[in-house]
Amino acid sequence: MKPPVLVRDLAHVVGPDAVLWRSEDLLLYEYDGLSSARQPHAVVFPSTTEQVVSIVKLAARENLPVVARGAGTGLSGGSVVTEGGIVVATSRMKKIVEIDLENQRARVQPGVVNLDLSLAVSDHGYYFVPDPSSQKACTIGGNVAENAAGPHTLAYGVTTNHVLGLEVVLPGGEVIHTGAPFWDRPGYDLRGLLVGSEGTLGIVTEVTVRLCRKPEAVVTLLSIYERVVDATRTVAAITARGITPSALEMMDGFTLRAVEEATHAGYPMDSAAVLLIEVEGLREAVEEQADQIAQVCRENQAREVHRAQTTEERELLWRGRKNAFGALGRISPSYYLQDGVIPRTRLPEMLEYIAQVARKYDLLIGNIFHAGDGNLHPIIMFDPRDAGQAQRVRQAAKEILSQCVAMGGAITGEHGVGLEKRDLMPLTFSDDDLEMMRRLKSVFDPQGHFNPGKLLPPGRERGELRVEVSAGGMV
Amino acid sequence: MTSASQSALSGLASLVGGARAATDPATCASLAIDGVTPSCVLYPSSAEQVAAVLQYAAEHDLAVIPCRNATKLGVGNLPRRYDVALSLKEMNRVRHYEAADLTVTAETGMTLGDFQDSIARDRLWLPLDPPGAARASLGGILATNASGPLRLLYGAPRDMVLGMKIATTEGKVIKTGGRVVKNVAGYDLAKLLVGSYGTLGVIVEASFKLFPLPSERATFALSTGALSIARDLRRRILHSPLQPMRVVLLNPLAATLVLAGTPLAREVAEPEIWAEVAGSARVIERCARELDELGRAAGAPPRRLESGEGPPCWLRISDLRGWIPDTFPGAVILKVALPDAASEEFLSRASQEAENDRVRLASFAQLGVGILHLCLLRTESAAKLIALIRRLRVAAQDLGGALMLECCHWDIKSRVDVWGPTGDDFALMGKVKAAWDPKRILAPGRFVGRL
Repeated sequence: MKPPVLVRDLAHVVGPDAVLWRSEDLLLYEYDGLSSARQPHAVVFPSTTEQVVSIVKLAARENLPVVARGAGTGLSGGSVVTEGGIVVATSRMKKIVEIDLENQRARVQPGVVNLDLSLAVSDHGYYFVPDPSSQKACTIGGNVAENAAGPHTLAYGVTTNHVLGLEVVLPGGEVIHTGAPFWDRPGYDLRGLLVGSEGTLGIVTEVTVRLCRKPEAVVTLLSIYERVVDATRTVAAITARGITPSALEMMDGFTLRAVEEATHAGYPMDSAAVLLIEVEGLREAVEEQADQIAQVCRENQAREVHRAQTTEERELLWRGRKNAFGALGRISPSYYLQDGVIPRTRLPEMLEYIAQVARKYDLLIGNIFHAGDGNLHPIIMFDPRDAGQAQRVRQAAKEILSQCVAMGGAITGEHGVGLEKRDLMPLTFSDDDLEMMRRLKSVFDPQGHFNPGKLLPPGRERGELRVEVSAGGMV
Repeated sequence: MTSASQSALSGLASLVGGARAATDPATCASLAIDGVTPSCVLYPSSAEQVAAVLQYAAEHDLAVIPCRNATKLGVGNLPRRYDVALSLKEMNRVRHYEAADLTVTAETGMTLGDFQDSIARDRLWLPLDPPGAARASLGGILATNASGPLRLLYGAPRDMVLGMKIATTEGKVIKTGGRVVKNVAGYDLAKLLVGSYGTLGVIVEASFKLFPLPSERATFALSTGALSIARDLRRRILHSPLQPMRVVLLNPLAATLVLAGTPLAREVAEPEIWAEVAGSARVIERCARELDELGRAAGAPPRRLESGEGPPCWLRISDLRGWIPDTFPGAVILKVALPDAASEEFLSRASQEAENDRVRLASFAQLGVGILHLCLLRTESAAKLIALIRRLRVAAQDLGGALMLECCHWDIKSRVDVWGPTGDDFALMGKVKAAWDPKRILAPGRFVGRL
């Protein structure tokens, strides 16, 4: 088959080995971590900013959408295409351009893998704070697009708090530099607007990030409960006492049994819930905080508070937590992972609400989440071959997110709106709020070429979650 | 100076209720900027009233500048026009406070002092030490992203704001973010508004995440001798496991002036590094021990300030603009933002330049943050001063940073741009401005690139 003109032009920019266009080669790019959508016209792998500019100009000439893609680990459909177009995959832009430890920063290309950056500076005692569960695969560019977080962003902030500057290719092909390698450059904080804009405003081609000093001491506690409500009350009590752990994660009994069977990390098979709690900092401070937290746990009916004795034990517990979603894949043909946020004081009643929803729709829902942030991750198990389940899954998911909003929370804490939740945006935003967002979108992208169909709802009505449950595309 | 018609002004006054509008010369003069006096001052009492005022002003082409206690009102280029001072004084209520969640939502006319008082009973605080201190309003702090040395440990207002309500020039009140600590739904408009100096919309309500008040604090002072020793100490302190709340480097004149306002008054002969640490008694004891070792190794053994001595000094350091211009009329305050490691190099060049021009220079550097304040105290001829400011700006740019004028006479502003050169993102900034404020009624001409 002869490549179409567009493909030849793209190959002229990036070389023939950096363009995929045959249908069988494009299959993988129909998916991200959430769902499947359409096939793009082509997937391109640029290595430089200049190549990205040429690709964007070519797309504009052909009037085709452009969708940036990192590792494709996103969970809201942000990197799949809805109406064809060109996928700009950043996997060849993986250079760490500069590491400047005295100024505690690094300059990287967007395709650098999150964990690789931390590893590159680890020996010097530094790391990059945001640590999504997908950090072995996900890229800094994707982190910027989604404003990604992770267990350890509780104390030190999410991606937007760690980005100093961006180089960005705009939909017209212009290259801008926003932010700076220092704080407080005068002018509007376009960097802050671009972080979390899900590829709808520009394609990031270089990122200057802040590096943080690794703590002197870390203590990891595993608090074990007979009742879920005692675990959630502990979270609220830790927050209310003004103790800020560096991570505070919760797993319910169902989830931790799946995790334990898959990873043998040391989680108790017979409990109703566990909290994985970490404190870090100066040795003296960490000891005090660990004691205070253990006391709060016991006051809230923890059956046992176990302190990890070795680095290996600590790492094993975290490996269990971060591989939880894979573990669940072993026991359910498929699942749907959500990302709502609520005020932390409302955790006990929210977990009860989720249990009710599960009963109402006859679904199995597990919970594993960033409890310290109030960032829930209910996981709805389902079998894609059971067509009757699809609508129930979507309905249950929508009710849970609506309840998050009713409690004063948000529909997404870290996974982004993407395709999945764009029609739920009117749950939390008025027409006027959305109108200002649309206007900013058109300031950056008047033709609507960048990642169309994402983040902003096309209409004003509250719609449904856009996930293809029945197709079995979700992992 | 202004041409706002009488009928337009009375129309405005009726939007807020006649009693909440002032047109008397004294009130208007109290909010003058660079010699430009507004025709009226309005005190709206709700977000909707603010929006109505903005819409009316846009329709009648009246220039509006939002304000509260005017602690930062003077920052910016000369206003092109200035008809209405929009004071948020009446909007000072806490709207939603959940101590156990460590979050609070308040109207932005609330002062930082009142805000801290309202949460201190729960042993919480918003860890900010901005210019204006307790008198600074939440709205002003957000609009200018105002921070002080505490930024080292806690970050800037930008990092603490969870969401906000904004009144727009179309007469709408829009929302961004929320009041939970994590939220990525939609564009983060709060980031755009923070640091926009009132030129896009008026922030009328904001939600913040709060922090536990440290149980104890202690301040240590280290005399550093040469700047090279200061650089060595900065590296050792910031790269140690200690996590100080704030660290500053003061030149001898700055240190002397800071102390002059306190019982510790004395003439300081060497640059000094001041560091404040917080935590339990054990944590502070550890910090004291470690700082002692670091200091001795560098030939600068630290002294620990008595409790009660530190706070007034820190207040003077973070609120320079509150006393320098009064103590030294005509003083110029420059803010320099740099990669942190260039701090001492810049200070050395700056003091050389100042000495050459026989200008007295007090310098305050926030270490680990990379923000420096230079106070030029004795003003020679304006022309000479302007030449010096330009040379300092070039020095900052050479070192990869930027320099802006935070406080100076309008005569200087008419010849030197307050913000400095713009970058390749300026065209986009102009379009963003046009999207929010198409009639250019909000603080016209004052921001970057005369936006």
